[in-house]
Amino acid sequence: MDPEISNFETEMNRGFLSILVLALLEKDMYGYAMVRTIGDLGYEVEENTLYPLLRRLEKNGWIKSKWNVGEDRPRKFYSITDAGRTLRAELLGFWKKQDKILKHLVKEKSHV
Amino acid sequence: MFEKLEAYLEEISHFLSGREEREEILSEIKSHILEKAEQEHGKVTEASIEKVITAVAVIFTKSFLVFPFLFVPRMGVFEAIFYLPTAFLFDLGLVTLILYFITRSKKEIQLPWPKFAVDLDEVKRPRRLILSGLGFVAMLGLTGLALVLYIRYHAIFFVNLNFPEPRLLFTPEAGKWFSLAVIATLAVGTIALFVKLFASSPWVDAVQNGISLIIVGCFFRLPLDNAIAISLPGRFLHQIKLSLIFILFFISVVVAVDFVKSLVVIGRKGLAKQRQER
Repeated sequence: MDPEISNFETEMNRGFLSILVLALLEKDMYGYAMVRTIGDLGYEVEENTLYPLLRRLEKNGWIKSKWNVGEDRPRKFYSITDAGRTLRAELLGFWKKQDKILKHLVKEKSHV
Repeated sequence: MFEKLEAYLEEISHFLSGREEREEILSEIKSHILEKAEQEHGKVTEASIEKVITAVAVIFTKSFLVFPFLFVPRMGVFEAIFYLPTAFLFDLGLVTLILYFITRSKKEIQLPWPKFAVDLDEVKRPRRLILSGLGFVAMLGLTGLALVLYIRYHAIFFVNLNFPEPRLLFTPEAGKWFSLAVIATLAVGTIALFVKLFASSPWVDAVQNGISLIIVGCFFRLPLDNAIAISLPGRFLHQIKLSLIFILFFISVVVAVDFVKSLVVIGRKGLAKQRQER
C-alpha cells in the first residue's frame, strides 16, 4: 500500500479502534477474545495495538479490569465504566455527524 | 509449567519497568499466549507455545541502542552475556590491528584526539569567564522563557505566536514530552555554565554531556508518528520526521564527541597528577 494512504489509514484506525473497543466492552471481555471477535467482524487488530490501547483507556478510567481466576485459566476481563459510556456516546455522536456529512457529499457527487 | 513460555517471559521482563506493572503485563501476556496456543493449535503444548511465541515475539521484544555508541540486537539475557564482551573485544581488536599496521609502516600518526590528549600537559586552557558569564545569562533567560511558556501552555512549540492563544505544533501528550526534554537540556546547560563561573573542571563538561546524551536518547524513544497537531500532507510529515531525526542525530554526535573528549581530558589529568606525585 502507498505509504501516504497507510498513514491516513493508521490515523483513521486509531479513533475507530477506540470506539470499537468501548462498544465491545458493554459485555466483559478478555484481550484474546477481543482480538478474535474483532477479527470475526472482518477487521484486523494486532496485539501490540490492542493492549496499549486497553492500558490507556484503563488509565483514564474509561474501562476497568478484573482478573478472573475461577476458570481453567486466569483471564483479565475488561469492562466499560460510566465515564467510558459517556465517552462512547460522545464519540458515536462525532462519528454519526461525520458519516452524515460524508454520505451527503458522496451522494451529491454521484448525482453530478 | 511450560519451559519455553517461562523463558520467554523471563526474557521480556527485562524490557518492562515498574515491578507491579511488570507482573501485571507479564501475567496478561502469559494468559494471551496460552489462550492463543489452545485456540489456534488445538491444545497447549511446548510446540504450540513455541509457534505462538514466534509470532508474538516480534511484538513484545525490541532491540535497543545506547545512542550513538552501541547497538544491541534483540537477544536473551544469556546471549547478551556472551555477545557484549565478544563485540567489545572484536571492536577493540579491530582498532588495535589498524593501529598496528599504521605504526609498522613507520608513518607519523596525527590522530586528533590522542594528539590533543598528549599535548594537554603543555597547553593551559584559559578560563573564559566573560564568555561563560554571558552564556549563563543567555541560557538562564532562555530556560526561564521556556519554563514560563510551559507552565502557561504545557508546551513550548507553537505554529504561530498569537498570544494568549497560540496554536500548538504538537499534540498535547507529545508536546509535553518534547518540551520537557528541551527544557531539561537548557537547564543542564545553564547549570553547567553557572558552575564553570566558579570552577574549571572537565568533569563539568563530562557530566553535562552525559546528561544531554541521556536526554537525546529519550528523545529518540518518543513516538514521532502522529505527534504533529496541525494538518499537513503526508509527504511533509515524512520530511519533518526525517529532519527531526537528522537534527537529533547531529546533536547527539556533537555531544558524544565532546563527551569522549572530556573523558580523555579527565584521564590525562589523572595520569599527569600521578606522574607529578612520583
